[in-house]
Amino acid sequence: MKRMLKQLACMTAAVLLAVSPFPAAAMASEGFTGEYERLIDMADLLTYEEESELLETLNEISERQKMDIVLITSEDMDGYSDIQEYADDLYDYCDYGYGANRDGLLLLISMAERDWYISTCGYGITAFTDAGISDLGSAMKEDLSSGNYASAFYTYASECDQMITMAREGHPFSKKDLPHAPLSPLVLPICIVIGLVGALLIVGSMKAQLKTVRKQTAAANYVKKGSMQLTTQQDLFLYSKVDRVKKPEKDSSESSTHTSSSGTTHGGGGEKF
Amino acid sequence: MGNIQEYKCPCCGSAIVFDSAIQKMKCPCCDTEFEMEALQGYDDALKQQEQGDDMTWDTAAGSEWQDGEETGLRTYQCKSCSGEIVGDESMAASSCPYCGNPIVLMGQFSGDLRPDYVIPFKLDKKAAKVGLMKHLNGKRLLPTIFKDQNHIDEIKGVYVPFWLFDTNVDANISYRATKIRTWSDSKYDYTETRFFMLSRGGTIGFERVPVDGSSKMEDDLMESIEPFDFSEAVPFQTAYLAGYMADKYDVSAEESIERANVRVKKSTEDNFRSTVQGYNTVTVEQSSVQFHDGSAKYALYPVWILNTTWNGNQYRFAMNGQNGKFVGDLPVDKKAANRWMLLSTVAIAAVAYGISWLLWLARIL
Repeated sequence: MKRMLKQLACMTAAVLLAVSPFPAAAMASEGFTGEYERLIDMADLLTYEEESELLETLNEISERQKMDIVLITSEDMDGYSDIQEYADDLYDYCDYGYGANRDGLLLLISMAERDWYISTCGYGITAFTDAGISDLGSAMKEDLSSGNYASAFYTYASECDQMITMAREGHPFSKKDLPHAPLSPLVLPICIVIGLVGALLIVGSMKAQLKTVRKQTAAANYVKKGSMQLTTQQDLFLYSKVDRVKKPEKDSSESSTHTSSSGTTHGGGGEKF
Repeated sequence: MGNIQEYKCPCCGSAIVFDSAIQKMKCPCCDTEFEMEALQGYDDALKQQEQGDDMTWDTAAGSEWQDGEETGLRTYQCKSCSGEIVGDESMAASSCPYCGNPIVLMGQFSGDLRPDYVIPFKLDKKAAKVGLMKHLNGKRLLPTIFKDQNHIDEIKGVYVPFWLFDTNVDANISYRATKIRTWSDSKYDYTETRFFMLSRGGTIGFERVPVDGSSKMEDDLMESIEPFDFSEAVPFQTAYLAGYMADKYDVSAEESIERANVRVKKSTEDNFRSTVQGYNTVTVEQSSVQFHDGSAKYALYPVWILNTTWNGNQYRFAMNGQNGKFVGDLPVDKKAANRWMLLSTVAIAAVAYGISWLLWLARIL
């Protein structure tokens, strides 16, 4: 069912492409299938000029970096309940990606619930870590929310370019590259509480020095030496129990992956805007 | 038909039945499975524990005075706190060791029991004064004025009456214990808890567990200056009292036993507990102790005492007259305490805040 819907979506895209002045074949170069354009604006968020300029940018970066950088907008979820599946299927069925590993990424904007989702594949998974994707999202968020779609998509293109370059240089975007948030204002009150607890311990130990009168609880000093004899010593096993607890999820300094309906491994992440 | 044996589940306490499918005992309530042998052992151990404690003593301590032996002794009484003390004819001190008020001669000492042993004073008044100064030094929250106001010369050597209890103890103690093992696979962390029932039985002997026999002397104060080394004790002679005061016992051996029982039982349990090793948690399930050959002796132990009144409260210090251990609760200078509280709060908070900034610069925060 979804597969059919997906094909329908690609067909819609193909129709749009047919109308477009850029023939798909012109985009095809070595390593890319070039079956579909890298920009498919089904939700019609961009003007004709914006669309052609953006497509040129995406093509330029994609070919230079040898990674497919794709952007698709959609008015609805096309029958999918999960935007991750939708994005993965678009990537797989439209045959995006460079080379055998189908390196690349796809940003899907769904206007139905105002979601964005980035699906990565091949080297895209390495280059776009969970931290990288969330940084991309926050860079675009303001423009997306206020309707400056062209500006958001240019941000997307240039950030992708940077992140791929970083990854090629051996340092994929990680938590450390996220903008450093200022020291939380909560730190000061927490420090004061720590100070208070520490002071209580210090003053408590000073007060304890003043108290030296204590009852003896036992009579250890008065045990006759060598008088203790153990006559019974039995350790009896009764029963056992096993509990299991699910392990916590990994943190975002790596790229989390999943498998799409067609069996390809994808990475990715998304939010609402 | 033989007896029908009913077992209780060690896990939840309900009755257990044999499950023929798994050939094991299984609790219908909590589904825990048991080997037959484990349950039998558990049942036997429980039965052994059911006998409870037995703490009986022979308290015939002390002896009668011989003719004329106590003629050199005099009884003095404090009119203020009605404390009665014993001294020889030449006793120089004339104030009560407990409250500092004058004492008056009551007359010839008579009656009461003759102590079995005495540990003579080993440390003199000078050592006691040094002990007090050491005790007051280095205590930051002690009001400074407290040191100056102490009339240190009032420190007095007193022989304090003690009951000494000897006993042999049979103990049977059972424990619940667990061993915990953890491991993980790719998805789950596992914790296996193995439950055990442990039994420990045996004997242990105690000798000369001291209990203070004077109601004027607080038990906790006297227990704080323990231990006294009994190897230096000698059979009682009135000559040892020369120059010192002696308190008369006014708490009988029978009345003192309870305190000894508590301490002996606790020590017995501690000693047997130390034979339980290799478990992650251990709790005592049942403990029963039986005392045998319990006997008591009457002895005088040497204690230096100083009483002082400050801001309407009485503070009493005591020093072990044998080894110099000095104790006594001291007042807290509230102003100094508040000052220290404020200073340390500010200092620690400042350091913590500085470290937070360093961590922030290092991008850890």
